[in-house]
Amino acid sequence: MTRKRRRLYWLLACGLGVGSAAALALSAFRDNLVFFVLPSDLAAQHPGPDRTLRLGGLVAEGSVVRGSEDGHPLARFRITDGRDAVPVTFSGILPDLFREGQGVVALGTLGRDGVFHAAEVLAKHDETYMPKDVAEALKQKGLWNPKAGPPPPASTWNTLAPAKAGAPTKAGG
Amino acid sequence: MTAETSAAPGGFEMAPRAAMFRSVDALSSLATPAPPKAPGRSLHRFANPGRFLRLAGALQPWLTAGGLILTAAGLVWGLVVAPADWQQGDAVRIMYVHVPAAWLASAGYLGLAVCSVLSLVWRHPLADLAAAEIGPVGAAFTGICLATGSLWGKPMWGAWWVWDARLTSVLVLFFLYLGHIALIRAFDDPTRGYRAGAILALVGVVNLPIIKFSVDWWNTLHQPATISLTGAPSMYLGMLWPLALTALGYTLVFAALVTARTRAAVMERRIRALLMAAAAREDGAVQVAA
Amino acid sequence: MTHLPYIAAAYALAVLVPAAYGLAAMRRLRLARTRLAALDPRPARRETRRETRR
Repeated sequence: MTRKRRRLYWLLACGLGVGSAAALALSAFRDNLVFFVLPSDLAAQHPGPDRTLRLGGLVAEGSVVRGSEDGHPLARFRITDGRDAVPVTFSGILPDLFREGQGVVALGTLGRDGVFHAAEVLAKHDETYMPKDVAEALKQKGLWNPKAGPPPPASTWNTLAPAKAGAPTKAGG
Repeated sequence: MTAETSAAPGGFEMAPRAAMFRSVDALSSLATPAPPKAPGRSLHRFANPGRFLRLAGALQPWLTAGGLILTAAGLVWGLVVAPADWQQGDAVRIMYVHVPAAWLASAGYLGLAVCSVLSLVWRHPLADLAAAEIGPVGAAFTGICLATGSLWGKPMWGAWWVWDARLTSVLVLFFLYLGHIALIRAFDDPTRGYRAGAILALVGVVNLPIIKFSVDWWNTLHQPATISLTGAPSMYLGMLWPLALTALGYTLVFAALVTARTRAAVMERRIRALLMAAAAREDGAVQVAA
Repeated sequence: MTHLPYIAAAYALAVLVPAAYGLAAMRRLRLARTRLAALDPRPARRETRRETRR
């Protein structure tokens, strides 16, 4: 019994040590573990033009211009975090989820002209899942504009009866 | 089951984990209402392999049948009946296999950690065997989580893989499972393997909160949790039901796999012991004859 | 259905991998049971009797 108790305490002490070491290491690396920086971070940091970095944020409403240059599709848009916005150019195929108001992460460099030249654009989707008819119903009622921000609290729509939302959900598959 | 989840949808993330706990820990806590006059202290009452085989054998068909039925129902519901997402389209159906696999990857590791404590502190012989059998099953579910996540990420994000904190920490979990599988079998003396494996498993537990909170602590491409203990899940109920079914079904399948493998391991250990005893008897007989 | 190849691959993985594990576990159990019964008929008999009764 005492031996067991001793082993248990020993294990708890080791766990405490490993846990606090991990916590310290994580808090030390905290800034280096981010996958992307926000436009306001970029405004504060002024990284050099050679540094490749990831810029994340929402595609600003009304900023997307799709054109072409030398036969390649060229998209211009702004990435915003609500405080600052950075103009971005990207030559290539945008992911399916790309739209105004969508979260995106762009990999590229910040030019001297203040334009971010993206080599790759990834779309970030949020944690809400709703059928098309529910989304339409929310938009029609003026409860949500997907271009302007996240949907209203889930409790207001996640039990929304399919009848209210238009077509029955079961036919949606 | 249905009434329970609809009554407390927020509490449902913990459900598979709790069930996992119960099933992995079946060796020790399953039969709490066991005969009261059983000898020894509470934990070692279930170290008797014969009793374990009887209990686990009785439990096995329920786990297997329940797991198969719930998983099949949930998968068909998710694939055919559930609505498509307004922005992801049908690709959202990958969620019904990805999310349960991800939960089971973490919950299975938690079960491995519990077995490791039982093994290190109480020297519980069944916990050793169970730990060795949880490893490969947990690794398989983590592999499913990573592969289906990749298959979901390519069409939605535009990349098979990114090195963000969530994906990286789950990859570390996968390697922890692989390391445990290798280490626990690396010694000639199995007891040393069990000790080493248990220590590795317990050190790796720090990774579990990192996986869970990575999406809140850091900027990640992976979205934060949809289902939390505190708020309503930000998911349409017609999508939540099939997810609940597959999560419960996968939990039972995981438990059934671990139970079956542990039963086999107990019998194999008995076979080894009998063979060694027979060899020793033969040795003794030869010496006596000579 | 959009993104069908991705969905099909994900579901196939999610079904086939656990199924393969299940079959392997079943075979391992059966082998262990027969070997144990050959070595030590007494406790194994109880186990197999329960199995056949089901």
